[in-house]
Amino acid sequence: MSSIKQIPVIEEKRTNPLARVFDELVRFCRSRSLFLLHYCTGCGAIELPPAMTSRFDMERLGIQPMVSPRQADILLITGYVSIKTLKRVILTYEQMGSPKYVIGICSCTVNGGMYWQSYATAKKLDEYMPVDLYIAGCMPRPEAVIEGLQQLMQRIKTGEAKGWEDYYRNYDYYLGNQQKLFGNDWQTPTDVITEAKHYDLLGEGTLGEHTALLEQHQQPLEALEMRLGHQVKEPAE
Amino acid sequence: MAPLELIIELVLMPLVAFIVGLMMVLMMRRIAAKLQRRVGPPFFQPLYDIVKLHGKRTQVSHGMIHDIGIVMAMGGYIAAETLLPVPGMNGIAEKGGIITLLYLMMIPSLGLALGVGQCANPNGSIGIARALTAMLAYDIPLVIVVFGVAYAAGTTNLVEIIATQQAGGFETWGAVQMPLLAIAGLIAMHASLGKQPFEIYIAPAEIATGPMVEMGGKYLGGLFVMQSFQLYTTSVLYVSLFLGGGTTWFDFLLKSFLVLAIPVSIAYLFPRYRTEDLLRLMWKWPVMLGLIGIAFVM
Ligand code: SF4
Repeated sequence: MSSIKQIPVIEEKRTNPLARVFDELVRFCRSRSLFLLHYCTGCGAIELPPAMTSRFDMERLGIQPMVSPRQADILLITGYVSIKTLKRVILTYEQMGSPKYVIGICSCTVNGGMYWQSYATAKKLDEYMPVDLYIAGCMPRPEAVIEGLQQLMQRIKTGEAKGWEDYYRNYDYYLGNQQKLFGNDWQTPTDVITEAKHYDLLGEGTLGEHTALLEQHQQPLEALEMRLGHQVKEPAE
Repeated sequence: MAPLELIIELVLMPLVAFIVGLMMVLMMRRIAAKLQRRVGPPFFQPLYDIVKLHGKRTQVSHGMIHDIGIVMAMGGYIAAETLLPVPGMNGIAEKGGIITLLYLMMIPSLGLALGVGQCANPNGSIGIARALTAMLAYDIPLVIVVFGVAYAAGTTNLVEIIATQQAGGFETWGAVQMPLLAIAGLIAMHASLGKQPFEIYIAPAEIATGPMVEMGGKYLGGLFVMQSFQLYTTSVLYVSLFLGGGTTWFDFLLKSFLVLAIPVSIAYLFPRYRTEDLLRLMWKWPVMLGLIGIAFVM
């Protein structure tokens, strides 16, 4: 969380005087239309249905659930992440379209919570991906969730919620922590470094020893084989 | 008609359709919210969604056909709007006729099929296979209904069909003259909207929104725009065929919103059918009603 505060805010250079107004409009719309990804990791997820349905109704804030990472803006981590889950969470996170935001709900995402002594869970979520907002509690009530989402909306409106840029600028740090957990040959299908170049977000922390390690182990991605029906195995003679 | 006037109409008609369509999306979401005892989204929510999606930094394209598919999906409806007469504007409706209109309304599904095909996502392919099957299911009753109306009116010109209904007053409305066709048309229209219980190709819980699964950013935004056009086109077509179009904007909008409210209110009370159930239902009831309706007309 503290590292996010230190990110220097870089204003995009625009020459068109209308661009400012336009940026303002887009930021406003971004804050008023947030699509949540339906991916619930731990027990905290149980508080989301009441937050979405008739009792607390998130839709009045413009927040609605979506089902695929490509469509979503917010990744909600609702509780403890086991190491196996964390892999999926990272894959999902990298496939989401930026600007994207991560919310850690539950104490377990802050510091491991009551799974502190477990060998199978990742303790601090913001070691593996930038988290824009934490909502602590075991588990936080729907009011707290909505309160947190409203805070996030406020920060998007003012342009503070830039956690996703941090992932590109400090990719080496996040990758290093991921490698510590998953082993040195950990690789995701998304080429984060090229993306960082594309968004012009190549920072000092993007490349480092861990990305060098990644390059050593990286295997080129291959397209899945396309075939129709089952493949019948020939019986061995 | 002066060419300049025509050009203004051709620009204005899709624009009006878009704005009304956005309000229809809002109405749909508000109705859903009311049925589920929620407050529902704020007034500008559909617009916020579209602006946000177009303003995303990441725009993942899967190739040329993907881009063209989305353009086709929107373009088919935009072209269809110019053939749908609204109060005070006829566009090219007199020259086009309903048959062209029906053809244009099929283009979006085909465009979507092309675009999704290139995404190579199995969920998307299943979704598109289902969407095209659904199209097969609802197009047959729709064509029967449109044929019946055109046969009774003796013309395929939508402007004339509306004018006759307006001249004769309430008794000559399509819905009064041909109630069976009107009912069949309502069912076909409901299915063409792709809402529950006919939501077979979106099915978020099963195939992750089918055709939309790989769409993000402006591609999804394009589909949101398409949806607002779709709601507008279907309800306005129904109003023109059966409810005498609109003499003023007020009664035109009132009728189109009311017509749309029927399938939408039904939609959020029901779960989803399976594909084969949809086919069976569509080819049995609306087709039967439509054929009997045509027999009365003849
Ligand atoms: S904080 Fe409590 S409710 Fe949340 S995931 Fe941990 S144990 Fe479960």
